[in-house]
Formats: sequence, C-alpha cells, structure tokens
Amino acid sequence: MVECIAIEVARAFPDRQEVLALTVPRGTTAAEAVALAGWSPAAALGVFSRRVQGDHVLADGDRVEVYRPLTLDPKEARRRRASGR
Amino acid sequence: MHTLADRIDAVLPQTQCEQCGFHGCRPYAEAIAAGAAPINRCPPGGKTGIDILAALLGVPALALDTAHGVEKPRLLARIIEADCIGCTKCIAACPVDAIIGSGKLMHTVIANDCTGCELCVPACPVDCIVLEPMPATQLDIEHADHARTHFNRREARLDSLRQAHEHELAGRKTATAMSPVEAALARARARKQEGSP
Repeated sequence: MVECIAIEVARAFPDRQEVLALTVPRGTTAAEAVALAGWSPAAALGVFSRRVQGDHVLADGDRVEVYRPLTLDPKEARRRRASGR
Repeated sequence: MHTLADRIDAVLPQTQCEQCGFHGCRPYAEAIAAGAAPINRCPPGGKTGIDILAALLGVPALALDTAHGVEKPRLLARIIEADCIGCTKCIAACPVDAIIGSGKLMHTVIANDCTGCELCVPACPVDCIVLEPMPATQLDIEHADHARTHFNRREARLDSLRQAHEHELAGRKTATAMSPVEAALARARARKQEGSP
C-alpha cells in the first residue's frame, strides 16, 4: 500500500483564490500536485512562500503555491513613488 | 476532555490580531484561564464576546478596555497589485497564512482565510494593503475554526523551523570550539597564565 500525505495547492487572482486539499502518494512533487489539481503548469512555485522547483518532493502538510509575476518592476515603482512626493 | 483554556479559546473570534497584548487568541485564552488577564481585552469579540466570556466564567461582564482597541465592523485585507513590490513582509506578518506570494512575485490575500487582523498593514513598506468590509458570510464559526487551524499550523511550522535553526547553530558552535584558531588562542592564554607569578 502506498503511503499518502495531505497537502494543499493554492493559487490566487485578484478577485478569486483557490485552495484545494489533496491526498497524494508520498513522493509527489510540487509540479505533480499542480497537475493533480487540474491546473496548467506554473512558471513559479513555492511552499509557504519559499520558492521551490517543480521537482521538489512534498512533505505532509505542505501548501504548494502557484505564483504570478509582479505587475510592475519594483525599481520603476520606487521611482514613481519618489517622483510623486 | 476540554480544559478551561480550550473552552475560552473556542469563543474567542480567532482574528489572531494580538490587540489583547498576547500572541494570538490561544495565548490570551490561557492567560484568562490562569486568571492572569481580564476578559475585556478583545476588540473584535466586542461586547458580545465579553458577555459570552462572563457567562462562561461566571464573572460579571466588563466594558471593553479601549486601551486595547475599539469595537468596529470586521474587515479584510486586499493588496493593491499595481503597487506590490513582492517584499514578503506582509506574508511574514500574517498569523494565518492568508497571503500567497514569494520574493519579487505577486502577493495576494486569500480573502476567505483573512481574519482582518490588520497586522499586514503596518508591515507593508509601500502601503499597498487596503482594508475592506468583511462579508457577513465570513463571520461564522466555520471561519473562526479555520483561522484557529491555520494559526496552529503556522505556529507549529515556525517552531520546527526555529528548532532546526538552533540545532544547526549548536552544531556550528561545537565545530568552532575545536577550530585551530580557538585552540591556538587557548594555548596562548595557558602560556600567559603559566608565565605570570
């Protein structure tokens, strides 16, 4: 019998956030968990805000997070704030 | 089998906002149970919460101690995405893991998991977190139970990270104690002591 672990997969959009609880076989990777959720492959993944690669093997209780890029460059945002002052 | 602290924690709102002065609802519940804190320090619980605590403990109700905040409608946080610089400070401040994001990547509040504790607001260096009214559907016991679970999960995770870190530091210290530099210094000190009368 394959040992299973309980994990979550989460992704967030401005107007909608999804957190799914999944039971997966031990040894499941972050990218596999995203696929099991039925989501398209993600460019950036993490577990509780720490970046991981797709082949990162999950531990019981992990929350795999799918990230989105920033909408603008932080340096540009800094310049914009400074000029607004 | 429920302890008094369990029963008190069960009726606290689980915002984990720390306005009571304790690190979350559970520590406040334990302090009340121990007789170390009064029952009127929870602004999110408000008057209703104080009445429930008074009935539970068989003590007179008190007015909310406004030194710990005022009662107001519950709120939840939302990140203005155009301004988020991906600094992760709000994520570190969130007591219930309700923010998804990582360094230099977009941060987003999981609205359904947000307790409106407001701890992320002062943590944000670019003031990009706004507070909005919490939907009435989110003010139920299920959401409070959810928040308690998330708080406990986060505390346990941070605890094990701290332990791993301390373990690593302890390991490093032992290694340094046996380093050639340390050994040479010890020999020098010993020689000095021998030399002195």
